[in-house]
Amino acid sequence: MKKGLLTGVSLLFLIAMMISACSKSDSSSSPSSSTEPTSSASATQSASPALPEPATISILTEDSTAWPPKKDWDAWRWIKEETNITVNQIVTTGPESLALAVSSGDLPDVISLFPQDVQKFGPQGAFEDLSKHMDKMPNVKAYLDSKPDIKARVTSPTGEIYNIINDGAGESSQMVWFYREDIFQKHSLTPPKTWDELYTVSKKLKELYPDSYPFMFRHGLQTLDTFGPTFGIYPEFYPDPQNPAKLKYGLQDPAAKTMVEYLNKFLKDGLMPQDWLTMDYKAWTQFMATNKSFITLQFIGQIETMNGQLPEGNLEFMVPPIGLGDKPYLPRGGYEIYGHAVASNSKNKDAAFRFLDYIYSERGKEIQSWGREGETYNIVDGKRKFIDAYKEPNDLRIISGIQTAGTYGWFDYNAWLALVKETEQDQYVQAPKYRFPVTNLPPALTSEEAESITTDLDQLKKFWQGEVTKFIYGERPMSEWDAFVKDLDKYNLEKIRALYQTALDRQIANMK
Amino acid sequence: MRRLKRDRIYLLLLAPALLHYLLFRYVPMFGITVSFMDYNLFKGVWASDWVGFKHYRTFFNSPDAWVIIRNTLVLGIYKFVFSFPAPIILAILFHEMRWKKYRKFVQTVSYMPYFLSQVVISSTLIMLLSPSTGWINHVIESFGFDPILFLQKSGWFRTIFVGSDVWQTAGYNSIIFLAALTTIDPQLYEAAKMDGAGRWKQTLHVTLPGIVPAIVILLILHLGYILEVSFDKAFLLGNAANMAVSDIVSTYVYRLGILGGSFSYATAIDVSMAVVSLLFIIVANQISRRVGETSLW
Repeated sequence: MKKGLLTGVSLLFLIAMMISACSKSDSSSSPSSSTEPTSSASATQSASPALPEPATISILTEDSTAWPPKKDWDAWRWIKEETNITVNQIVTTGPESLALAVSSGDLPDVISLFPQDVQKFGPQGAFEDLSKHMDKMPNVKAYLDSKPDIKARVTSPTGEIYNIINDGAGESSQMVWFYREDIFQKHSLTPPKTWDELYTVSKKLKELYPDSYPFMFRHGLQTLDTFGPTFGIYPEFYPDPQNPAKLKYGLQDPAAKTMVEYLNKFLKDGLMPQDWLTMDYKAWTQFMATNKSFITLQFIGQIETMNGQLPEGNLEFMVPPIGLGDKPYLPRGGYEIYGHAVASNSKNKDAAFRFLDYIYSERGKEIQSWGREGETYNIVDGKRKFIDAYKEPNDLRIISGIQTAGTYGWFDYNAWLALVKETEQDQYVQAPKYRFPVTNLPPALTSEEAESITTDLDQLKKFWQGEVTKFIYGERPMSEWDAFVKDLDKYNLEKIRALYQTALDRQIANMK
Repeated sequence: MRRLKRDRIYLLLLAPALLHYLLFRYVPMFGITVSFMDYNLFKGVWASDWVGFKHYRTFFNSPDAWVIIRNTLVLGIYKFVFSFPAPIILAILFHEMRWKKYRKFVQTVSYMPYFLSQVVISSTLIMLLSPSTGWINHVIESFGFDPILFLQKSGWFRTIFVGSDVWQTAGYNSIIFLAALTTIDPQLYEAAKMDGAGRWKQTLHVTLPGIVPAIVILLILHLGYILEVSFDKAFLLGNAANMAVSDIVSTYVYRLGILGGSFSYATAIDVSMAVVSLLFIIVANQISRRVGETSLW
């Protein structure tokens, strides 16, 4: 009797565990089959004439814990009202979700993803070639034609278009310089216009505050991508601004030597911290909040974030100092790194195309960014003003799903700015004035081409990063810089450059 | 059959573990075939092109290969040389402690670091060792020395890597040896004392020989782990300055295989490493079988 009870209980326990494990995974990955429209008055409310027949598509998006996805977000409702398409949002469970979906063949109709994912899975046949369906998507065609940068990024080396990249909400990815305006004013200092002035003002600050490191940044070697434009270069491959059809490699330019010399000088004189290479965000906020640093570089949104955390004083946008040349430059940021693709085995392709055509249209841009007049905003003094329920820009995401993955393709950043504090709007107006004419995004390669240089690229990068770090730390004297540049050729630099040049030529030809 | 019926409770208890091993260790072995193909994620395993040993050749011909294998081996051997004896010494020391309460407290404290994740430890190390804000460098500076660039130069990397590993695992791994120590017959100690052996001689001639079987088995197992240097710490503590010593097989595979999208290449590298580890274990087992009585098989 006792033995039977034991067997029974342990069996039940096992079964219960397996059921709970299985059901958990089911509920998070399978799309819900019911599709009730959230607004029954949608048919009568829509402003456009007779809507096409209703359809349902599923869309895969990231799961952002900062704004948990909701089925009843206004953004989804507006899509339904405008296009009669109900969108089922499926969220990823981790970075491997996309790979799993592709390998299982069980893809949602529309996928929001990064261009790198497209490079990986596109040529393998996972996504529909949208270039063949442009007749069904006139707005997408107009969008791409008006944005040659984006068109270049989405056209594959063989002419296919596997994804459409978003535009408009990328402003927050712009790196900027900023400084403690109050400290400068207190000591009658002026913001530096050149790197030499940056040096002298930092030295002065170090004398006034001996425990500080006046100049500081937290992205380690990656910050060279922001320093570079002030000297007229990017450290790696980029199209020459004087001749954009030609690719050059920044480290080979003499300007790179000047840049590294400055950094070495700053480090030697204690004007920037010794662990600039391994700084993280937390350390950066500590430095800024405890008066240990006064001039820094970060993403543009951080000015507002830090201003909210400073116990006293204020941070202000700083025009980038000039290293070489006569114009101050910021890296050409502000582009988006996210977009949409359609699964090649989707059963709702027409609806998917209609969806894309809407979110990349002017009307879609207006509605998905602002919402509807009287509902989410009112016109006050001729300008649009959001209703009081939205107190800061992030509320747009949390409450209505505005500017979240899958709810927009073309975004009107003025909607975001409308909720930014008056005092913090200046940097968004200023930053675009200083953008470098070209980006350092590499042209697209075919998978064979990419495979042929994977190891070369990795070795080249490891080499220059290791050596430049040594130069900055002073472990290698600057007199050896020219020998270092010569050594770069040993890493198949010319072979890689030639390959990218072919890809760039092809890209330019494809755009015509 | 009768044995099965009689032991069915134990088999039931074992079932989840067996299932886990079957599903997560044996079935994935089928994935080794991916390393012989140009794996196309969308087409799947059956439709991808077969390329034979191409990826293996690419790996061993690349000049990177020897650097990262060297880094992995050096870190693995250092870890072995320092992390293996540490728990044994710790267990013997615990065994010799007299105050029971104090001993229990120290033992418990020594186990705790094991349960911290590598990510937490790496972040803490980065903060502690920072030359500008780190506590350790503040202490060094207060003695009048210049701050040491622990993570910004390659010289210290191996020490930090292995040191933090010893700190994390010594306490937990000493549990097995403590258990082995309790099996030593106390009469042997009395006999030794009567023969005039002091504490040290007793340790040398009674304690150590008593736990030799446990030491040998764990030695063989650990030899197999030499090549499995943890990805998390090497990835998080590695940077451009110490890349020459911190780039190991797993970080290389991550960069080129996973970030770069070449699953086949990544699999080929991992399979090669697994084969080498297997060789290590077989050789170690043969040696131990010849030399002593204990061996894994």
